[in-house]
Amino acid sequence: MIIVKDLSVERLDKKIFENINLSLASGCISILKGKNGSGKTTLLKTILNIIEPSAGSIYWKGKLIKKNLYDFYNNITYIADKTTSLNRLTVKDNINIWKKIFLSNISVSQIEKALKTLKLQDYLNQKVSTLSLGETKKLEFLRLIIENKKLWILDEPLSSLDEDSMELMKQTFEDHCSKEGSVIFSSHHNPGIYVTEEINL
Amino acid sequence: MKFLVNPSKFNEMADYLFRPLLILSIILFAIGLLFSFYFSPDDYQQGSTVRIMYVHVPSAWLALLTYAIMTIYSILALAFRIPFGFIFNTAVAPIGAVFTLICIVSGSLWGKPMWGTWWVWDARLTSVAILFIIYLIIIFMNLSFENRIVREKVVAIFILVGSVNLPIVKFSVDWWNTLHQPATISKLSTPSIDPSMMTPLIIMTFAFIMIGVAIAILRIKTEIISRKSHLS
Amino acid sequence: MKFLNKIIFFYYREYKLNLSGFQDILTNIIFFFVSILIFIFSIGPDKEVISLIGVGMIWTLLLLSSTLSLRKFYQDDYENGNLLIIHLNGFSFGFIAILKTFSHFLFVQVPFLLSIPIACILLNIANDKLFYLFASFSIGSLILSCLGSISSSMNLMNQRNFLLGSVIVMIFSVPVIIFSVGIINMEESFNSLINILFGILLIVFAINPWASGLCLKLSLENN
Repeated sequence: MIIVKDLSVERLDKKIFENINLSLASGCISILKGKNGSGKTTLLKTILNIIEPSAGSIYWKGKLIKKNLYDFYNNITYIADKTTSLNRLTVKDNINIWKKIFLSNISVSQIEKALKTLKLQDYLNQKVSTLSLGETKKLEFLRLIIENKKLWILDEPLSSLDEDSMELMKQTFEDHCSKEGSVIFSSHHNPGIYVTEEINL
Repeated sequence: MKFLVNPSKFNEMADYLFRPLLILSIILFAIGLLFSFYFSPDDYQQGSTVRIMYVHVPSAWLALLTYAIMTIYSILALAFRIPFGFIFNTAVAPIGAVFTLICIVSGSLWGKPMWGTWWVWDARLTSVAILFIIYLIIIFMNLSFENRIVREKVVAIFILVGSVNLPIVKFSVDWWNTLHQPATISKLSTPSIDPSMMTPLIIMTFAFIMIGVAIAILRIKTEIISRKSHLS
Repeated sequence: MKFLNKIIFFYYREYKLNLSGFQDILTNIIFFFVSILIFIFSIGPDKEVISLIGVGMIWTLLLLSSTLSLRKFYQDDYENGNLLIIHLNGFSFGFIAILKTFSHFLFVQVPFLLSIPIACILLNIANDKLFYLFASFSIGSLILSCLGSISSSMNLMNQRNFLLGSVIVMIFSVPVIIFSVGIINMEESFNSLINILFGILLIVFAINPWASGLCLKLSLENN
C-alpha cells in the first residue's frame, strides 16, 4: 500500500533521521518507536507530504504521492497529537461537523454504538472544553470511524489513555486490519499491540 | 559573478573588496563634499539650500535601489532556492532603512525653507514614508520570529508583496500633480540640471554607493558567520 | 459535486464556529461604535465638522476595528490542527486561503457593512452618500479581508509581536482608503474610482492565495 524508500529529513542543516525504509501492505500495522525528539512526528508529516524530505521518495499504490496527492489524501485519516475537536461546540455538533465535512455516509446507529463503546454517550450535549484530556482524545478517535478511510496515520494515539481504552484501541486496530485497512502509529512503547513492522528511530 | 549567489565565494570577494571600497568611499565623500560646499554654484531661486540635494537625491536613489535588489534576491531565493538571497535580505534591510531615513530627514530640512513646511502629504512623500515603514516591518519581522526557516521565507514573501510600492514611489511625481518636483535626471532625455551641479551629485552618488556596499559587505559577512554557528 | 459539497460544508463549519463565538464579532462592532463616540467627544459635537469628516472617520474606524479580529483569522485553526485536517480533506493551501478570506468577509466584514447605516445616522451623513459608502466598503472590505489573510498567515509563527500583522494590513490599505474616501468626496468620478478599487481587489485577490498558501504551508511544515 505505502512504500517509503531511503527517506531522510534535514532541518536547519541538522539531520533528523536518515534512510528510513518502510513498506506497509494492506491489513498490516506498523509502529514507529523512538525517544522524545527522535522525529516520529516529523516522519509522519513527511509521509503526509507536509514536510519536504531532503532525499528519498514515498509511493502510494505504486505511484509517487507527490504526483497523486489528493488521491492519497482521499484514503487516509490523520490524527495528530492535538485535539482537532472544536472547544466551544458540543460533542454532538462536532460529530455533525465531521460527518458533513468528510462527506461520511455513516449511519446514526453506528455512531451511537461507537460512542457507547468509547463511553462518551453521556457527554453528547456537553461542550468539548468540559471534557477531560482522555475523553477528548477518545472523541478524536471517533474521526477514524466517521472518515472510514483505508490508511490510518496516528501520532501518539496511546498517550493519556487508560487501560480499558488501550484495550479498545487494540481491538479497533485489529478490526480495521481484518477489513483490509492498515495503520501506522507512533509511540514510545508498545503496550502489546500485534504489529507487523517496527521502525526504530 | 558567482560571488553574488554563493556565500563562500562572496566571503573571498568581500575580503578582497572591502578595504578599497572603504578608502574609495572616504575619498569620494571628501571630494564630493568639497565640491558641493565650495565649487558648486548657488541656485538662483533656492540659494544655498540647494546643497541639501547632494545628500537627499543619492540617498533616495539608494533607498529605492536597495529595495529593488532585495526584491530580486527574494525572487532568486524563493524560486531558485538560493539561500544567499535570505542572507542578503536580512543583512541589507537596515541599510535601506537608514538611507530612507536620511532621505526623509534631509528632504524635510529642505522643505522647511522652500515649501514653508516640514512635511506635506503629497504622493511622493507619503510613498517614501510607506517605504520606510515597510523597511521597519522587515527589520521587526527579522527580530520577532523564533524559527529561522519560516522567518526568512516569510520576510522574502513580504518583500515581494511590498515591492508594489516601488513603482508608486518612482512614478508618483509623474502620475499625480505633487509639490515635489519631477525627476530632473533621467536616462531617456538630456538632464535638466546644470553640469556644475551634476558633477558633485554624481560624485556623491558614487560615494553613497561605495559606503553602502562596504557596510553591506560587513553585515552580510556577519550574517553568514552567525548562520554557520547557529546563532540566528 | 463532491468538491462543491466539501466547500459548502466548510462554510457550515465556519458558520457553526462563528455562531458559537458571535460575541467576538459583536465586540468588534461595539469597539467600532465606542470609538465613534470617543472621536466625537475629542473633536466636539459640532454637526458641521462631524458631517464633513464623518466619512473618513467611519472608514478609518472600520479599518481599525476589522484589524482587531485578525489574530483569529488562522490562529485557532492552526493551533488545534484543523488547518491540517482541512488540507488533508482535499483543499490545497491556496484554496483554503480563498475560502477563509470569504469566510472572514461574511462573518466579520458583513456585520460592519450592516452597521454602517447606524453610524451614518449618528454622524449626520447625508443619505445620498450612504450608497457610495456602501459600494466602496463592500469592495474595500473584501480587499481588507485578502490583506488580512496575507498578514495573519505571515504572522502565524510569530509569537512575540502580533501587532505587526495589523500594521501590515494598515500599510497596504492606504490606497484603499485613498480611493474609497475619494469616491465619497468626488461623486462625479464615481465610475473611474470604483474601477480602480476593483483593480486593486483583483490584484490582492491574485496575490492572496499564493502568499497566504505559501505562508500556511511554511508554518505547518515547521510547527
